[in-house]
Amino acid sequence: MACIERSSPALKQILLKLYRAEKSIEIDHHLYEFGSVEYHIQSQATNPLVAYLSISTPPLYHGNLPNNLSPYTIEMVKGICPNLVEIEEPAREGYQLTLKLNLDQIPRNKDYVKVIEDISTVQSVIISSQLKEILCNVNSDDASQGMYKPIKLVYHPREPFFVIRQQQRIIAIFPIRFKEKFDVVIATAFFQELVDVGNSDKWVKTPPCTWSAIPPPELTGEALEDLSTNGGFVSFDISSRHIEGNRLDKTVWNLLNFNANVRYHVKSTKGFIQRRMRKRLENLVEVLHQTNSEEIEQTKQVKQQHQGFAFC
Amino acid sequence: MGSTTLRLYLTCIRNTLDAAMCLQNFPCQEVERHNKPEVELKTSPELLLNPVLICRNEAEKCLIETSINSLTISLKVKQADELENILTKKFLRFLSMRAEAFQVLRRKPVQGYDISFPITNYHCEEMQKQKLIDFIVQFMEDIEKEISELKMSVNTRGRLVATEFLKQFI
Repeated sequence: MACIERSSPALKQILLKLYRAEKSIEIDHHLYEFGSVEYHIQSQATNPLVAYLSISTPPLYHGNLPNNLSPYTIEMVKGICPNLVEIEEPAREGYQLTLKLNLDQIPRNKDYVKVIEDISTVQSVIISSQLKEILCNVNSDDASQGMYKPIKLVYHPREPFFVIRQQQRIIAIFPIRFKEKFDVVIATAFFQELVDVGNSDKWVKTPPCTWSAIPPPELTGEALEDLSTNGGFVSFDISSRHIEGNRLDKTVWNLLNFNANVRYHVKSTKGFIQRRMRKRLENLVEVLHQTNSEEIEQTKQVKQQHQGFAFC
Repeated sequence: MGSTTLRLYLTCIRNTLDAAMCLQNFPCQEVERHNKPEVELKTSPELLLNPVLICRNEAEKCLIETSINSLTISLKVKQADELENILTKKFLRFLSMRAEAFQVLRRKPVQGYDISFPITNYHCEEMQKQKLIDFIVQFMEDIEKEISELKMSVNTRGRLVATEFLKQFI
């Protein structure tokens, strides 16, 4: 599913086309994803070894953080294929970041697909690094009477979630909303299983998960539109061990894509139910038609018998 | 205990249908050269018999409305929780929208019920009465089984997906 993969499929396609072109081509593509992410890829025929990739993505947190990318984010972006990618200063107008791609540095063996895929993950790297900063840094301005105020984050439009930093843990709360009641019921069944599985002994290392139909107390004081849901609230308790070392990246990516995972599960369950109903319908109709054909056979036999008697 | 009450319920329905499905051709009394199922129109009370309501419990019941040339069997299916409720609605609506495949199914169930089977004298002429009754009784058993299996499948899928999701944290 595109929104759960780290790399942008469309961007990857264009970069592969550019790399595989037998003769130099001119490219000037504008890409839009998820309604708010914009890419601009440029390459000139006069200089085929260099391409420029500009990106504009809305920030995860619309609060006090400036719209420009933080130094931590810039460092994370530089970590994507350092010998291949350079950051252009200043960025092109209307974009937060412009990258210069040295295409001659891409390996000529089969690893080139992996390298291009890594470059296509630039948007997910930017967003992940923003959430990593929020999880790891303590901002004293957010403290209020010893408790930290909820930070509202928006990864996909209309699907905000909250992160609340407390003394020993971080709580991530996802308000869940669906348009149809059927989706709400399937999602609620899924959350009950998630809580059940998460609380079992086998999964003690994973963040404890709870579901509640009403807003949790940590969200007291938030806007009514954020607290009005039909699917309840799912909370994850993230402790320090979930954000140490390599686990930080996994935890961040799972939190960013929780909503997408839920929606994908609901959609595929609906498809499964539909297929099953269709198959059941065929079975039921087959029984009825079998009954009918038995009737017709019996009627024919009776008629033949009568004709036989008549000839006699 | 559950299967015992189900058996009794189904036996009662079968016996009632056996008695009720004595239909004959009867042209419409109001419109010349028309032949309509009187149980649907309900304009001539003398052609209608008393409806029979068979209840297994508060949630499950069967209404059999009979007339001289037709009868309607309406079923209310057990729905223990919201998931069963919505699965039942979806499934029976799915079947009802394809009523032409069944011939003896109503597109819209009688009010207060989940599914309705209108049977006319023509159906009784084309098909054997006992086989029709067997089909309806078997349908009732199959529906209950299907809804239970659907619910279990949904919960099992949810559990598998939850397990896969939590694995990603480790």
